[in-house]
Amino acid sequence: MSTISLQDTHHHDNHDDHGHHHETFISKYIFSMDHKMIAKQFLITGIIMAVIAMGLSILFRLQLAWPDKSFPLLESFLGKWAEGGRIKPDFYLALVTIHGTIMVFFVLTAGLSGTFSNLLIPLQLGARDMASPFLNMLSYWFFFSACVIMMGSFFIQTGPASAGWTIYPPLSAIPKAIDGSAMGMTMWLISMVMFVASSLMGGINYVTTVLNMRTKGMDLWKMPLTIWAFFLTAILGILSFPVLVAGVVLLIFDRSFGTSFYLSDIVMGTQVLPNEGGSPILWQHLFWFLGHPEVYIVIMPALGISSEIISINSRKPIFGYHAMIYSLIGITTLSFIVWGHHMFVTGMNPLLGGVFMITTLIIAVPSAVKTFNYLATLWRGNIRFTPAMLFAIGLVSFFISGGLTGIFLGNAALDINLHDTYFVVAHFHLVMGSAAIFGMLAGVYHWFPKMFGKMMSAKLGYLHFWLTFICAYLVFFPLHFLGLDGVPRRYYAFTEFEFMNKWLTVNVFVTWAAIIAALAQVAFLFNFFYSIFRGKKAPQNPWEANTLEWTTPVEHLHGNWPGEIPTVYRWPYDYSKPGAETDFIPQTVPFSQTMSSNLPHDFEGNTEAEEIQKGWEVKNKPAATEAE
Amino acid sequence: MVQTITQQDLNFNAKPKKFVVWLFVVSSTIMFGGWTSYYIVFAASKGKGHGLVLPDVFTYSTVVLLLSSVMLYLASRSLRNNNRKQQQLFLWLTMALGLVFGYLQFQGWTSLYNSGAALINNNAAISMIYIVSGFHLIHIFVGICFILNALVGSYKQLPIEKATYRQDITAIFWHFIDILWIYLYVFLLLNN
Repeated sequence: MSTISLQDTHHHDNHDDHGHHHETFISKYIFSMDHKMIAKQFLITGIIMAVIAMGLSILFRLQLAWPDKSFPLLESFLGKWAEGGRIKPDFYLALVTIHGTIMVFFVLTAGLSGTFSNLLIPLQLGARDMASPFLNMLSYWFFFSACVIMMGSFFIQTGPASAGWTIYPPLSAIPKAIDGSAMGMTMWLISMVMFVASSLMGGINYVTTVLNMRTKGMDLWKMPLTIWAFFLTAILGILSFPVLVAGVVLLIFDRSFGTSFYLSDIVMGTQVLPNEGGSPILWQHLFWFLGHPEVYIVIMPALGISSEIISINSRKPIFGYHAMIYSLIGITTLSFIVWGHHMFVTGMNPLLGGVFMITTLIIAVPSAVKTFNYLATLWRGNIRFTPAMLFAIGLVSFFISGGLTGIFLGNAALDINLHDTYFVVAHFHLVMGSAAIFGMLAGVYHWFPKMFGKMMSAKLGYLHFWLTFICAYLVFFPLHFLGLDGVPRRYYAFTEFEFMNKWLTVNVFVTWAAIIAALAQVAFLFNFFYSIFRGKKAPQNPWEANTLEWTTPVEHLHGNWPGEIPTVYRWPYDYSKPGAETDFIPQTVPFSQTMSSNLPHDFEGNTEAEEIQKGWEVKNKPAATEAE
Repeated sequence: MVQTITQQDLNFNAKPKKFVVWLFVVSSTIMFGGWTSYYIVFAASKGKGHGLVLPDVFTYSTVVLLLSSVMLYLASRSLRNNNRKQQQLFLWLTMALGLVFGYLQFQGWTSLYNSGAALINNNAAISMIYIVSGFHLIHIFVGICFILNALVGSYKQLPIEKATYRQDITAIFWHFIDILWIYLYVFLLLNN
């Protein structure tokens, strides 16, 4: 069988790559080609970047809550960017820009997909490693370099990029426009090109591995929903990130070589710039052709992770396995034809706007299918409230409350009013930000035993969950009302406008909630790093789950399984199957060992197996057969 | 079972790795798709394209690149007939034609520049000619690295599966950049 030879080939590759099995510190922890180690590298880098980006958000929240107050402490570590203890307008813009960039790309794309695709694709599919371990290593180091360059922009005279995470030209295209468009923007662009290279290497590897290296018996319709989500996410990345590169290259040429792709009729002070004929709207098209799929790149892995966790901890099969997959496929396809809804106010032809509006509203259908399926899975389950389960349920909550406002914003007529207000900020921080980060945290709590062989403290996990969950709502929910009242986002001091003054108290409240949420993360960070070294040793299968990763030894080894790779006989969601001895049946258990719980559709039309099953039932369950 | 595994360990299966190259081809196509989409939208909104008669050199370079693809095809066929000497010869020829192509592209840019159509231009459609042909040339450079990789494999007398794998990925990539250039050239000819 081709599948067998594929994974065993892989085994062979491992021998090639790692030769004689004596590893140095460098080959094990730094330039590692083992997918499990690379996953940990992505996770820890992602956590560090998340903490940095969260710190940046606290800084600009201070400015929003107390625009007239001085914080001398800020000056002592930000220097001239906070002269007199007050954050400068230019630096405020840099803060929101870098906060957005890091959170969207570095944490929720690389930190999320990089960690869990790398960890789970080989482990849940039964492969020795990725298709190309070398490319995988390269992917991490490109990501790491991108992080270093992005953070490096804080240490230059003119400061980091500050044109917003969407870096719209002409502001971003003219180095002299603001400080942030000078060197900082160049570094942003270089960092982003490296980031895209990293994402592409990762994504190509994930798709290849899923399509070519599944173990025997693991057909596409027996894959866990996590893998489906990572797979479709990787496809989205491969199809959309190259367009961002195309756009970024043109922007680099505009900035550094004097072309006019995005520039026309610009007057700086008294000086007329020579550029003519370009169109900044074209940047928006190229950017959002990536940018919109990007938000699904962020949310889909989180959705996949919570499908798995909710099913395991409800001790029930996932409701609508096929519907879950088809809705993921639907989201993937539709996400390419909705980008125009970010551009309703660019003077777009209303007819075209209508088309984008319809496609946008249609995407609510598969999203709703997923939501209802989560709820139906929870319904009357034997729910185990592990920290991972709480975070997964938290994701569902944010996905609903943030998704509803998406229907508002998808309507062109409403969006024209709400565009670039805090309503948008509230919407995407709930549906994309909070939901995705909760999915990521759920994944960390759930697969920590697999990653480090240790258990995290559940009590600290509960503390972390409740504080974060409540504070996230306290931070983002009030922002809807600011937006409805017309308070624009990205303003440094909106109190300068009479009618917005009344929102100051709300902003003070939001900032306090944000500070408490930030402090709550200490519980997580302590729990995470302490448990790596001092956590309780993890059992083989701590959550009593069905998927393949829990059949590997707790102590990691190259090639994942000491002997042969296990064969898969059934789908991953046989929880609480009537007639079974335990409430979970791992994928590696053949139907011949579970005669008492087999159902006719388990045999997928294999008449011979059906006959055997019937014969067994006549012998062992005469009453049941009669009743039929 | 142990026996079959060791047996299979000896097999070199190139399928997943070739798939990686195919996916790279897909993402690269999309990047160029991004640029040509820019061009179409730009030209439609301004009512003008680059408006140039493209230099003849680009026609010659197209022919050269097509020829190089033929040479690479012959190299693959030689390897299939297990004639490594012949494979090496055709690989060298492919590479030489690739270098000639690069030289001709520079000639093309020079003649564009001399006719007044420089990269720094207030008609972004003209700048775009340089962008797409320049990034295509970067692909040619990568393709030459692939050819060198296949050549090294051939000279080292690698086992047939590995040598075929190296030859195959070179072929996937080189034929792709050949077709890509034809697409770009025809695109630029049609949208002037």
